[in-house]
Amino acid sequence: MSKKMKTNLVAYSMVLPAFLVVMLTVAYPIVTAIIQSFQDGETGSFTLANYTYFFTDKAQRNNLLYTLYIVVVTVVIAIVVAYLLALYLRFVKSRISKTIGMLYLLPRFVPSMCAVYAMITIIRDSGLVNRIGQLFGVDINLGMMYHASGIITMNLWFNIPFAAMMIAAGLGGIPDSIIEAASDVGAGKLRIFWSMILPLSLKDVVVAATFVFMSNVSSFTTPYLMGGNAPKMLGIALYDQFNRYMDYNRSAALSVIMFLICSVSAAVYIYTNLKENDWEK
Amino acid sequence: MFKMLNPRRFYHAVGRRKFLEFIILAVFILFFYGPLLNMLMLAFANEYNVPHVLPDEWGFDWWAYVFGQDSLVSSMIQSFIVAIATTVISMIFCIPAAYSIARFKYRGRKIFMLSFLLTNAFPKLGIYTSIAVLFYRYGLMGTYPGVIIIHMINSMMFMVWLPSNAFRNVHRQQEEAARDVGAGPVRTFFKVTLPMAMPGIAVATLYTFLGSMEEAQGTMLVGLARIQTMPVAMYGIVLDSTAVQIGAVFAILLIIPSAVMIFLMRKFIGPEAIAGGFKMK
Repeated sequence: MSKKMKTNLVAYSMVLPAFLVVMLTVAYPIVTAIIQSFQDGETGSFTLANYTYFFTDKAQRNNLLYTLYIVVVTVVIAIVVAYLLALYLRFVKSRISKTIGMLYLLPRFVPSMCAVYAMITIIRDSGLVNRIGQLFGVDINLGMMYHASGIITMNLWFNIPFAAMMIAAGLGGIPDSIIEAASDVGAGKLRIFWSMILPLSLKDVVVAATFVFMSNVSSFTTPYLMGGNAPKMLGIALYDQFNRYMDYNRSAALSVIMFLICSVSAAVYIYTNLKENDWEK
Repeated sequence: MFKMLNPRRFYHAVGRRKFLEFIILAVFILFFYGPLLNMLMLAFANEYNVPHVLPDEWGFDWWAYVFGQDSLVSSMIQSFIVAIATTVISMIFCIPAAYSIARFKYRGRKIFMLSFLLTNAFPKLGIYTSIAVLFYRYGLMGTYPGVIIIHMINSMMFMVWLPSNAFRNVHRQQEEAARDVGAGPVRTFFKVTLPMAMPGIAVATLYTFLGSMEEAQGTMLVGLARIQTMPVAMYGIVLDSTAVQIGAVFAILLIIPSAVMIFLMRKFIGPEAIAGGFKMK
């Protein structure tokens, strides 16, 4: 056996167990879900009705638009704020920025349910904000519970630190020397940002945006604990289809729809990642 | 001292730049830590009546109540069993795969790598529901192996991508140097490669463990009522608790493992190490 074959054999035998687990526990269920989504619940014959239901039923269409609205608002605000935070952490060296640089790692590791619960104790009608308002004689009702703004606030709580972390890692890779070089030849701060820092960190922005997007399309905990009855986010609509209506074909179709929405951002992600690899060669 | 509390005086005392930084810090802490601190306070409030901002009576009453419930204590034990088993098993499967992807060049490497992205792109609930059908067939519903498999699905991407990124950052020359002075491949791996890749592996382990500690959706679905981890119990509490304090105590209990793990691994946790888990190379 040649040496090349031997190393290949070692390489494959190391990667295959994990790959098989993914195939068996993820890919196979996905394939069965896709097949099921095209089947009629009773006869098992081919049908598109499971899909058309989600686009023609008014409540379901609202759920879809509502989810897209929340996700897009979350992604835009989270990325902009995270970018500013990352810039601050990268270029301002002070005790305060160091403190924030440590504190912003924690939210990523707080169990999501605890964070949601903690936020509820603040914004509910008898929550902290209302109680503090009453100290000053004002009755503040945020109205964020069971409303899109509450879900978006919570999403920002989870995703700003995460996105800032991703972007900060990218900004950390930009050496001080090239920035100094640019400012030595007379480039202003804005110019340096537009023509150097932004292009160099764009890839990390895409990575961060992709994962923020994907995790929010199918988010469950936050809308489950904070969301209203109608419209619902798709994660909850899916749970209802499965748990309440026991309609496995429709829930499979909805999974596929959510997967397709995610794939759009996944495709952008894969494209930017592969492009960079070409350039590295 | 109290003079400093006047914003205008404070502004002139520290200068514009510092003043802005303090505002950033204040907003940051209020938004990201305010809810958590409020919840911490609630956990020690024996009496907490509207509209008081601070508890009327402090104490450990609710802690005694939570620990007095058999089901809650057993849910903690089950949580730890599942989390530890999940972490160990996914390490056994994923670390070799990560090493293989990082170190060997062979056909299909990219596809292996991408296959792990699937776990994040398809809605989890969609995967769970079709896997449940498989589990029924093989008698895995309501058993530890079933729940552990569900938890593994969640963490496999990080468990492969993060260590793989870490392994790639270990320079080959360092391994070769060890081989040159007579160390075997196994010894080289454990004495040189592994310690250097430790930050990435540590963060991946942390993710897996904490991810398992907070997983609720899949556990509810697959565990039936037999396996009840802490987060599953918490869902019930949040949704139908009369006293906000029970949820607070439980949330704190759920956060403690994260806090301990983060403290133990604080050396390894940084933006670079975490960001590595979201990038394909």
